[in-house]
Amino acid sequence: MKHLFVLLTLFITFSVFSAEDNFAFDTPAQRAQFLSLTAELRCPMCQNQNIADSDAMIAHDMRRKVYALLKEGKSETEVIDFMKARYGDFVHYQPPVTIATMWLWAAPVLFVIFALLFVVRRKSSAAPQDIKAKLAKADALLEQEKE
Amino acid sequence: MKKAPLVVIPLFLFSMLVIFLFQGLFSDPRELDSQVKGKPLPEFTLPDLMQPDTTYTPASLKGEVTIVNVWGVWCVTCAVEMPYLTQLKDELGVKFVGLYFDQDLDPDFGTKTLTRVQQEVTSMLRRYGNPYAFNIFDVYRDTSLDLGVTGAPEHFVLDANGVIRMHHIGDINERVWQNKVGPLYQQLVAEANGETGTDIDDTDIKDTGRVGE
Repeated sequence: MKHLFVLLTLFITFSVFSAEDNFAFDTPAQRAQFLSLTAELRCPMCQNQNIADSDAMIAHDMRRKVYALLKEGKSETEVIDFMKARYGDFVHYQPPVTIATMWLWAAPVLFVIFALLFVVRRKSSAAPQDIKAKLAKADALLEQEKE
Repeated sequence: MKKAPLVVIPLFLFSMLVIFLFQGLFSDPRELDSQVKGKPLPEFTLPDLMQPDTTYTPASLKGEVTIVNVWGVWCVTCAVEMPYLTQLKDELGVKFVGLYFDQDLDPDFGTKTLTRVQQEVTSMLRRYGNPYAFNIFDVYRDTSLDLGVTGAPEHFVLDANGVIRMHHIGDINERVWQNKVGPLYQQLVAEANGETGTDIDDTDIKDTGRVGE
């Protein structure tokens, strides 16, 4: 039973790493850099997969390039800029803040602000009217009951 | 009076949403903005596919309007467009240059020999027609990466100065040629002819203009 368990765990680790190429790194830090980069770079061929996840040829080649660039001593930003220079902003999962993309952040905030203003204004202006109307209705009901 | 915005604002927001989503129905998520358009070819020194002793650099593609076709024998769409490209070459004299890269050839392990690749290419060109003036062999697929290639087939239209004027992803068929690639090609050919024409006629004027710059 114990042997079976050991065997099973072996198979699990194998299947996890089977999709990866074999790269040897100088330091654990470099390996961590490689893993984070391949996770945040997007495969330009496939729809919504990062290059670590994808088995497309272009993803293979990009992983190879990321590895080569890291080995050359390039920093993470340099690798990302290298890929952006070839495949555009599309290739990075973190969009840059530009006039076109700032609405991604601004729109929800603006929406909340406008909604709050709207609610506050409506409450303050509508409340007295409401009470007056309700009082009138209550009076009318009382009148009816008296009769 | 007060109720008007209450009706108009949601209606406006809703119609904006509908327009946005409706556009999404027809947009192609594979369409990417090319980063190389308007730039010269990236630096490379690559061998000829058939005669590996001959090497090419970006300078080899200057002097004539050229369409660089990224392809491989493993690519089905490439085989489909090949007869039409051959027709364009024969009828209009379009100069196609192949940028060949192989899928099976692992650059790090070399599982496939060059002879084998050449055999496959020869047999495919024999079957579907050969539109290429020559084929550049992108051995390590580095140049494809530099060009922002995501797969095959892809096309780069170069003007006579070797500057990339269009990056077309996908095949060239009759519709694409008539609507997209063809007009630009004709324009670039006219530009190239015009330039040589003015060079002869107004050499002095052009030269003084350049000195001023």
